[in-house]
Amino acid sequence: MIKKTYQIEGMECGMCAMRLQELEDMLPGVQTVEASYRKGEMVVVFDENLVNDGAIADGVVRLGYQVVERK
Amino acid sequence: MPEIILALITGLTTGGLSCLAVQGGLLASSLAHQIENDVAGGTGGRQPRLALPIGLFLLAKVTAYTLLGFLLGAFGSMIQLNNTARAVLQFAIGIFMIGNALRILNAHPFFRIFSFEPPAFITRLVRKQAKKSDWLTPVTLGVMTVLIPCGITQVMMVAAIGSGSPLMGAALLAAFTLGTTPLFFAVSYAAARLGSALEKRFMTAAAVLVLVLGLVAIDSGLNLAGAPFSISGLLSTNAAPAQVQTVAEPTAAADPNVLTIEVKNNGYQPNLMHAPANTALKLRLVSNKVYSCSLSFVIPALNIEQILPNTGEVTLDLPPQAAGTTLRYSCSMGMYTGKIVFDG
Repeated sequence: MIKKTYQIEGMECGMCAMRLQELEDMLPGVQTVEASYRKGEMVVVFDENLVNDGAIADGVVRLGYQVVERK
Repeated sequence: MPEIILALITGLTTGGLSCLAVQGGLLASSLAHQIENDVAGGTGGRQPRLALPIGLFLLAKVTAYTLLGFLLGAFGSMIQLNNTARAVLQFAIGIFMIGNALRILNAHPFFRIFSFEPPAFITRLVRKQAKKSDWLTPVTLGVMTVLIPCGITQVMMVAAIGSGSPLMGAALLAAFTLGTTPLFFAVSYAAARLGSALEKRFMTAAAVLVLVLGLVAIDSGLNLAGAPFSISGLLSTNAAPAQVQTVAEPTAAADPNVLTIEVKNNGYQPNLMHAPANTALKLRLVSNKVYSCSLSFVIPALNIEQILPNTGEVTLDLPPQAAGTTLRYSCSMGMYTGKIVFDG
């Protein structure tokens, strides 16, 4: 398991953070998603053998947001 | 009253939208199983039975928020110690609202500090509930929306605290959530989301409404503090010609030292009076079937706070005032105002 922080663009309120949590169900291998509208970022804990940065970024786009930078 | 109507309009026109994306999505996903079952069972092309669960969800939501408004109003009444505290609270509410409006308008990332974020475990709990498919789910989800209030709802919650009355708090949140209901019902029923361009336009309108509410709150704070300048004060001064009949006529025939104010549901009449300086006066407040906050009468400069009867009369003593003094009075929420000018 690794933990990565992604800068997210397009969040317009605190509820968008909740929407991003859907990644936990959408992507096998994603364990937890903690997004923050205030910081404009999300912290993802995931199994790198099952899922990668690209898949996570695609998932974010499908939810209506953009990953702008990976920390 | 105007605040309740504003809350209803905010909900009706725009307030629902900021919650819709998430709450509507939750409801739609909880209904998905229902739709699948109906389709599998063959409903003969009829619409799946969606109206009932959506109705239950909305009923639970309105009930939960009304109760929340009652509790917030009660909390507000406990922390409202005196006139000064109320003025400070109104200022704080005004700043919160204006900050939120600027946040929605994306004026600067700084304004994001005005947004509350529910902790991840709560949002996770709500999301899990949405995946269940029993009839209780819409009701539970409706109640749970209290845990995930959207931006505009948060503004209304703060306004409920500021009302300082459990009933007013309940009325504000009930009006707001009821206002969001038609849009919510329509969109959930269509199980579709508005185009993002349209949603953005609605949100801009919401921000402007919140900005207006914020200015009203700050204006109320100014009135409560007895400030010589306030937006409503300026408006009433500029509109003076239309209020000729409201200009004071101290009840000269009866007693020149008695000033009479008629307390109405929508304000005080007259709202501008001239009185002789350096004379002890009586201020007679007459109310007749009044049920608004105008019954809570304050004169900040004299530290007078008087609760008036729905129907009846209360007489207050006004100590002699120097020529040129202006005494401002208002309701305890700073919404209805007036002044007495002492002439030499």
